[in-house]
Amino acid sequence: MIPLPSTIPVFLTWSIAILLAFIIGEYGFKWIKLPRISTYAIMGFILGHSQSGFLPKTHSDTVLLLINIAFGLILFEAGYRINMRWLRKNLWIGITSIAEATLTFIAVYILLLCFNMQTSTALLLSALSMATSPATVVRVLHEQGSSGQVTERVLLLSTLNCILAVFCFKVIVAFMILKTSGSIWQASYVSLFALVLSMALGGLLGIVIAALVRSTKTTTHNMVFFAISIIFLVTLTHSLNLSPIMATLTFGLVSRHRRIILNSSQRGFGTLGDLLSVLLFVFIATTLKWPHIIEGVGLGIALIVVRQLSKILGISIFAHVSGISWQKGLLVGFAMAPISAFVILLLEQTHYLGINLVDKFSCLAVAVLILEIIGPIMIQTAVKLSHEVPDTKEY
Amino acid sequence: MSLEIFNKSQSLSLGVELELQLVHLNDFDLAAASPDMLELLRRKSFPGTVTPEITESMIEISTDVHSKYSELLSQLLEIRDKLIDAADRLNIGICGGGVHPFQFWSDRRIFKKLRFKEVSALYGYLTKQFTVFGQHIHVGCTSGNEALFLLHALNRYVPHFIALSASSPFVQGKDTMFNSARLNSVFAFPLSGRAPFSLSWDEFQQYFIKMQKTGIVKSMKDFYWDIRPKPEYGTIELRVCDTPLSVQRAASLACYMQALCRYLLRDDDKLKTAEDDYLVYNYNRFQACRFGLDGTIIHPKSHEQISLREDILTTLRLLQPHAEILDSIPALEYIDDVVHTGSDASYLRQEYISRGSLEGVVDASLQKFRLNV
Repeated sequence: MIPLPSTIPVFLTWSIAILLAFIIGEYGFKWIKLPRISTYAIMGFILGHSQSGFLPKTHSDTVLLLINIAFGLILFEAGYRINMRWLRKNLWIGITSIAEATLTFIAVYILLLCFNMQTSTALLLSALSMATSPATVVRVLHEQGSSGQVTERVLLLSTLNCILAVFCFKVIVAFMILKTSGSIWQASYVSLFALVLSMALGGLLGIVIAALVRSTKTTTHNMVFFAISIIFLVTLTHSLNLSPIMATLTFGLVSRHRRIILNSSQRGFGTLGDLLSVLLFVFIATTLKWPHIIEGVGLGIALIVVRQLSKILGISIFAHVSGISWQKGLLVGFAMAPISAFVILLLEQTHYLGINLVDKFSCLAVAVLILEIIGPIMIQTAVKLSHEVPDTKEY
Repeated sequence: MSLEIFNKSQSLSLGVELELQLVHLNDFDLAAASPDMLELLRRKSFPGTVTPEITESMIEISTDVHSKYSELLSQLLEIRDKLIDAADRLNIGICGGGVHPFQFWSDRRIFKKLRFKEVSALYGYLTKQFTVFGQHIHVGCTSGNEALFLLHALNRYVPHFIALSASSPFVQGKDTMFNSARLNSVFAFPLSGRAPFSLSWDEFQQYFIKMQKTGIVKSMKDFYWDIRPKPEYGTIELRVCDTPLSVQRAASLACYMQALCRYLLRDDDKLKTAEDDYLVYNYNRFQACRFGLDGTIIHPKSHEQISLREDILTTLRLLQPHAEILDSIPALEYIDDVVHTGSDASYLRQEYISRGSLEGVVDASLQKFRLNV
């Protein structure tokens, strides 16, 4: 008789979790048109250690690495989609981005102070609230096959506010470190210096890879080349305590502006992108804990509402002047719901702060859980209402 | 309802319509962007008109009526600048070219308008594969009879326009070996081809009424002919041209047609039109689509083989005095230059070689559309 292991190996639990999430995701999509990643989030939450205890409590380095890579691939694409020329030609786009992010920051900060939160925690939390998850946005828009101004702008604004959030977060962290340790060097290294260095690395890699692609004239293996380069960049920045987010975003941005063309059939890194995104979205929800959810439910919901209203207001007031209808402006704001805070926390390795922010931010856990599930539905609704998805009756 | 009366218009007046491509700037594929473009363009006055086309990746512009090359060109340039300005604000690329080189027809979306929905329901996939981009040139006629005369007299020159405007060498990601592959998409429609031979408007009206009684057609719009009369405008409309990569070329082609019509109206006894002229029509048309300026056509009267390039050069010499009167010498010089330097189709093939991808070809088209020379 083959002896059964006393516990299920970690990798087996993960592969079962992904398999289940995928299968149920397909049914959910087919039967009730539920965006696949909403199902992945639900499954991740249920299977997480704090709930059913199916998945292990601590995450192995390999799983974390895969998550980093998954997010890196998506951020590369988000960066690749930033057209600097657009920002120059239509200044209102940049203004919209700064307006909605600032408004979100201020509104959430005021809300948190009203709930008697500590200033430093409130500042960090407000910075994280600015970010819309480009990962969720990219995946849902791919799934929907949408095209139009709502689609374009949600993609761009979510990438931009992610950059703004990371910057803002780092600056606040720098001040906190300065206050506690008094070391300007330490404070600036973990913050702005790290960001600049990460961007420089991403930019440099972009230039080198673009030159290599051009000289070898490889067109069919471009995406493999880029995927491998992203893996390298993510692991490098991660091990140097730099910012993989900024590095991969810059890598994408520079690749685009070095006139490297990724064709549409390779959008989202094809099968590799699909596969890793299942893992990514299951994973995000596994980090949430039921007791936190209960604890933070009131403030969490208030945070969602305030954040959403700020985004809708900040974006729609500039809708007309930036070239779209009021209706589309409202829908862009509506679609900005998904929050990428936890991924930022994870990737940006806040452990050096000596405090576990995830445990502290129970209201954020609520927002993440709810928005991981309904955020994709909101994006789907926005692109449908704006007629940016193909009509199902068409042939 | 019978065919409307032929509204008399000023002889040799001109109008141009261009169907243009709307492109994603991320991957250079076609973008379903016409609703957003139209919403933005509607806010301010537009020089000419701008309308949606059958799929959302297309937009159509048309000029006012002109009689001079310089006026036509300056309006087209003004229209182009307005379009570029709007497209820039929305991060959309806009360009000419008869066919997008690698789009897939199944990705297209029908514009939300009743007529387009009806056409789509009738023709199925033909509608989406009709996401091709043409230039239509209207020439004013003083009567229905004159319109029909010009329509049939021009048939011998249709290959000129195909070869000169050809800008659709790539379809669905591959080189078709054609210079204008676009016309193959038009040919798939049952009411495409050429108008029946008749030189009298009354007779033509009879034909139209008979067709209407069959239930196949409701209006002139249902005919997809290469050249068709447009009684409501008092014009004939040449529809074989691919949209060139630049509006300058579009204006020159229109004025080439204008000079040609003037020549035909005045030297008509040399060119008595007859039904038999059409014996070589489809063959010549094919030669122009396939080989462009390098094609060889058969003269409809003498049945000799002539090089299309030579034939255009000969025609240009004949048109010289007419162009002088019409003030369109620069247009003919432009056409002469095209004959010597090559069509847009050969330009796109060169760009494909130098840039190494079809996305690069679209990028080249986008840049060409913006050029001021």
